[in-house]
Amino acid sequence: MNFLSDQALKRLRDGAEMPDLAGTRYRMLERIARGGMGVVYTAEDENLGRRVALKVLDVPGTDGDLRNRLIREARVLAALEHPGIVPVHDVGTLGDGRVFYTMKFVEGNRLDKFIESVASVPDRLRIFLRICDAVAFAHARGVLHRDLKPANIMVGPFGEVLVMDWGLAKILRGEVSSTMLAADPEATVFDKPKQANIASAATEASVVTGHGTVMGTPGYMSPEQARGDVEHLDTRSDIYSLGALLRFLLTGQPEGASTPGGPRLDKSLAAICAKATEAAPAERYPDVQEMALDVSRYLDGLAVGAHRESLFEKAGRFYRRYRFFILLIAAYLAMRVLILLFMHR
Amino acid sequence: MSEDDFQPSGDRFPLTRRSVIERAHSIDAEERAGALEALCVAYWKPVYKYVRWRWNRPAHDAQDLTQGFFAGLLERGLLDKFDSKKSRLRTYLRVCVDSFVMNEDKAERRQKRGGAVLHVALDFAGAEEELGATVMDAARIPSPESLEQFFEKEWVRSLFALAVEDLRAFCASRERERTFHLFEAYDLEGNETISYQQMAREYGLSVVEVTNALAWARREFRRIALERLRVLSSSEEEFQREARAAFGWVAK
Amino acid sequence: MNKVLLGLLLGAVLGAVDGGTAWFTPAVRAQLAGIIFGSTIKGLIAGVAAGIFARKVNSVPLGILFGLAVGFVLAFIVAYLQHGYYFEIILPGSIVGLIVGYATQRYGAAPTPVASR
Repeated sequence: MNFLSDQALKRLRDGAEMPDLAGTRYRMLERIARGGMGVVYTAEDENLGRRVALKVLDVPGTDGDLRNRLIREARVLAALEHPGIVPVHDVGTLGDGRVFYTMKFVEGNRLDKFIESVASVPDRLRIFLRICDAVAFAHARGVLHRDLKPANIMVGPFGEVLVMDWGLAKILRGEVSSTMLAADPEATVFDKPKQANIASAATEASVVTGHGTVMGTPGYMSPEQARGDVEHLDTRSDIYSLGALLRFLLTGQPEGASTPGGPRLDKSLAAICAKATEAAPAERYPDVQEMALDVSRYLDGLAVGAHRESLFEKAGRFYRRYRFFILLIAAYLAMRVLILLFMHR
Repeated sequence: MSEDDFQPSGDRFPLTRRSVIERAHSIDAEERAGALEALCVAYWKPVYKYVRWRWNRPAHDAQDLTQGFFAGLLERGLLDKFDSKKSRLRTYLRVCVDSFVMNEDKAERRQKRGGAVLHVALDFAGAEEELGATVMDAARIPSPESLEQFFEKEWVRSLFALAVEDLRAFCASRERERTFHLFEAYDLEGNETISYQQMAREYGLSVVEVTNALAWARREFRRIALERLRVLSSSEEEFQREARAAFGWVAK
Repeated sequence: MNKVLLGLLLGAVLGAVDGGTAWFTPAVRAQLAGIIFGSTIKGLIAGVAAGIFARKVNSVPLGILFGLAVGFVLAFIVAYLQHGYYFEIILPGSIVGLIVGYATQRYGAAPTPVASR
């Protein structure tokens, strides 16, 4: 038996990882990311002459579970045609037996990187509202994302916001494709304790519980999701994640108070975040639209449902909302007084 | 279209391949011996090198300890105590080696050990040569992480080397020796400057033929290595985790 | 509230206030009611004009300029008919037009676009 040098090990690893695209219409370009159960490459669709993102399973499961999950993920995406959700183009099996799917290649930045260049709170809130649009659409189609976090949101070069990585999605009810439901009577991408995924030490990575139920990402997942209470998860679990995401957009972290030296969180926005991330689901917003409405009301200078204002706060908000108009009236009155003084001299 | 429509031909494992842990628990003595042999084949080299490096043992001591460890593995019921929910088999075996060496130290005994008879040829001279070729910083105080990394790397080396040998045999059985030579020349021995064009000239093939041959060999190598890994894993979860570790498929 | 109604109400209120300040000028105090009425009508016309303009053109600077111009013209006509008090009438009148022009651009509901068939 020959000794394998470190270089040979590296070559073997690289060679084993590279998907075998022979017989497909795709040509490999480069690897761009690695997720919980697969790798994402950019590839060229030679028939259509366009670049696509190709996600391929890395480890084959002995019971086909991982394969089924990737196929379900592709089908979930296919069922969610929305400008804020990355569209899937194709799903299939490669010559080396690995399942893959291709989707739109999104050029742009992950939200956590993109946000560094967006200083204004209203601009950040507008991005958040677009995320809400996509999630609300998915909820309306009976799909929970279950892993909403900055790393799973992409912002394109024209400001388009796309919710990515629906690998942990759970299907709540049957507005989605009937074949997807038929393939999995429980209609859940993966929620069975035996269907374990890989726990990662990284706090930003999606993790599983000790008994194997996929949870999401610490800091962004709801308490019920963290408990592995998969059966009872509903849209309010995603609302929790959206609350954490909103807090991240405003303070730079998903939990707790704002970072020292960072922007001070407005009371109304803090209240929206707090309401969305209540420990008890019943205390949260009942749906994403309600939450988005509160954020929109804040943007419009209106009172938000999550926060009861004092008289002083109301006056302050009124002044902020009509500042220029109030200043015009004040200028007019000052001018009137000056004219009167001038006339009575 | 159902999920079955996506079932490929070669990426599922034959269900008859039972894991070594299952086989080690068998009531059939032959099965248990087979399990021990499979474990020994995959792990003796990492264990030997680990004893040499971690415990700084001279070669003959390390050989004795390695043989003793595997010979007593079943007898001491170590595999029965293994709980796949608590740790990986690889980590468990490394901890068992540590404990075994420490106990040997205490007793300082050299009497003949009992236990199973190993039917695996252990090429210690080869392992010694490999140790010389392995880049190690012996002066560094071994932290638990570095010990784990060293053991993992040697385990991957051992696993891949076995898979390469399997691939060689597989190629021979399919009369594809030339494919294996290409694989060997490019992936195992090749340097950074070697190109497909160069290989094609050397072997009198077209570049497309070289590309296809290498793609086939890599695919088969991957399949064989994963199959071996599956047998050495005690559960589906461990298999997936170990596969990601072995192939470096770890999320960054 | 739509933009025309907002302009109408704001123009009327500011016009009335504008006219009411004539009380501080004893010489014209006797005609105060007529001045307030006239000024209210002037503000009202400026407000409606600014509101209609805001429905057609969505631009704060242009709205302000339009309001200022309408306020100025109306105030000039009033001052011309009064044969005096040009400064006291034109300056506040123009500023009322400016305020109404800004307010109708910035606030008030824009008409909902109707989908074409």
